[in-house]
Amino acid sequence: MIEFRNISKVYKMGEVEFVALKGVFITVQKGDFISIMGPSGSGKSTLMNIIGCLDTPSEGSYYLEGKNVSGLTFDQLSTIRNRKVGFVFQNFNLLPYASAYENIELPMLFNGKKGAERKARVDELLEMVGLAPWAKHRPTEMSGGQQQRVAIARALAMDPPIILADEPTGNLDSKSGHEIMEIFSQLWKGGRTILMVTHDPAIAAFSKSTIRLLDGAVQANGIPN
Amino acid sequence: MRMQLLHLYWNEFRKRQKKTSLITFAIAWGALSLLLLMSFGRGLSNAGSVSFKGLGSTMIMLTRGQTSKPYQGLPRARRIHIHMEDLELLKRQIPGIAMISPEANNSHNISYRGKESNRSVNGVYPCFAEMRSQIPAAGGRFINDLDQEKARRVAFIGWNVAKELFGDSNPVGKEIRIEQTPFTVIGVMKKKQQSSMYQGPDSETVYIPFSTFCQIDFQRFLDRIHIRPADPRDALFMENQVRRVLGRKYRFADDDANAVNFWNTIRDYETGAKIFKGIEIFLSIIGALTLLIGAVGVTNLMYAVVKERTREIGIKMALGARRRHIVMQFFLETFAIFFKGTLWGTLIAFNIVSLVNLVPIGYEDFGIKAYLLRPIFSLDILIVFLVVLCVLVFVSGIFPALRASRQNPIEALRYE
Repeated sequence: MIEFRNISKVYKMGEVEFVALKGVFITVQKGDFISIMGPSGSGKSTLMNIIGCLDTPSEGSYYLEGKNVSGLTFDQLSTIRNRKVGFVFQNFNLLPYASAYENIELPMLFNGKKGAERKARVDELLEMVGLAPWAKHRPTEMSGGQQQRVAIARALAMDPPIILADEPTGNLDSKSGHEIMEIFSQLWKGGRTILMVTHDPAIAAFSKSTIRLLDGAVQANGIPN
Repeated sequence: MRMQLLHLYWNEFRKRQKKTSLITFAIAWGALSLLLLMSFGRGLSNAGSVSFKGLGSTMIMLTRGQTSKPYQGLPRARRIHIHMEDLELLKRQIPGIAMISPEANNSHNISYRGKESNRSVNGVYPCFAEMRSQIPAAGGRFINDLDQEKARRVAFIGWNVAKELFGDSNPVGKEIRIEQTPFTVIGVMKKKQQSSMYQGPDSETVYIPFSTFCQIDFQRFLDRIHIRPADPRDALFMENQVRRVLGRKYRFADDDANAVNFWNTIRDYETGAKIFKGIEIFLSIIGALTLLIGAVGVTNLMYAVVKERTREIGIKMALGARRRHIVMQFFLETFAIFFKGTLWGTLIAFNIVSLVNLVPIGYEDFGIKAYLLRPIFSLDILIVFLVVLCVLVFVSGIFPALRASRQNPIEALRYE
């Protein structure tokens, strides 16, 4: 489903070059639940960003569902982000001016889905994350756990096969964190492919296997949990 | 673009509306300035044109002169007078004369039932009225061909003469005396605005048939000959023709500009119209610059807004927003600010123009008031305004919007 062939990423900051990833080969099968671990600066986020088509590799080829994604235009990548990938961020990244309902609806608006279809989907997702009564509330009126559940619902709006979560529990207390991980487990059991960056072994324990990164290279792949 | 997306953009815009109120004011002010300056400029131009036509805008006026150079052994500084027979000469020799009228005048005592007044009495042909924009007020008429032919004792009087002798009563049909000769008043001049004149305004003058004038007043020379060319574009050509024909008769050089004098109102009118148009354009440019300052302010604000919302842009990109979704949002915000500002500016400008137009102006006090208090808010002004506005909206909106859409999604997401 996801295949990295010799992916490298180099950031240039003036004269200084920073190698974020070097020669990474990974393969993720449909239905995997993988944790990506490693010290900060090891390239976890860069890896996630390339998988999520937010960033493009400097070298190498990235195949998503068998198609080479390298070299696509911004708008083509936008379409992939919209349909294939759902993002869950550490700091939730909800739109502050929009209600829970509107936040969840957003990816469907960029896709041009019909009103009735959108409403049905948003209601279904709010129900799923247990926030139906909070539909009209703004993110600022919600707890961290609730905000992250809205973010998960939003990631699922377009029913993408892949969920990318960058430290999804990093800003949450352990109880809320576990609730979030329970949702991820449910999603995985529902057949979705999940990749999750974390540095917490207790959180990583929810996943099926782990990829360890160090200094931009894969140190260990497919460690079963 | 989905309505729902517009609704979302609108919500995000509304939350920040307080921050935009100052710039909205600047746009309203700019729009107001532009519209007012254009309207007042047009009013000025119009007043200029109206008052020019008070004298007559399609005629050439010929008066006596003095030679300025020797010619065929004759010295310079000879007086050249014009005579009645020159009228026939010009008509015969120059094709393309549509109308021609002599004018001779003298000051005479005018009286009606004991009221007396000293006025200029002018003898003219019937076609004089049309060349000099003299329209009879309702119930009266100007001198006609029969009056001229039979040398009837009839008079067409300026409205101030009428007022002085008759007060508010209707002078038409009444008998006035010019010196001791009785004349029937056949018409009163309709009021008009007149900015340029010779020997006083038309409102103070009495006109009688030229033939009648010759019977009550003996003059060897004509004061003026008025000529209207069939085609106004021939104005300058005709002037030269007249000078050539008279030069042969009175023996002065073709290029002697002072031998006879011309008042070419066609040329004056064209020059005047150009000057007024120039002023109008100049005022419009000042107005447009005022609006431009507002537009620069909007661009500035939008750059700040883009920066402030970098992270939201990143979020939207991560959720699948295309570049056009981002461009559209910021462009629409620019549009909304402009729309609100110009709506206010236009409403206020329209009301000011309407109110100012309510200020009464008499025909007597033709002057600064007529130029300044009759602004015109016309369709073409509105069209020019909208074109300027569209250009400004586009230019001031597109650059911040493009910057927003060209953000790197990752950097945008990391932005604090």
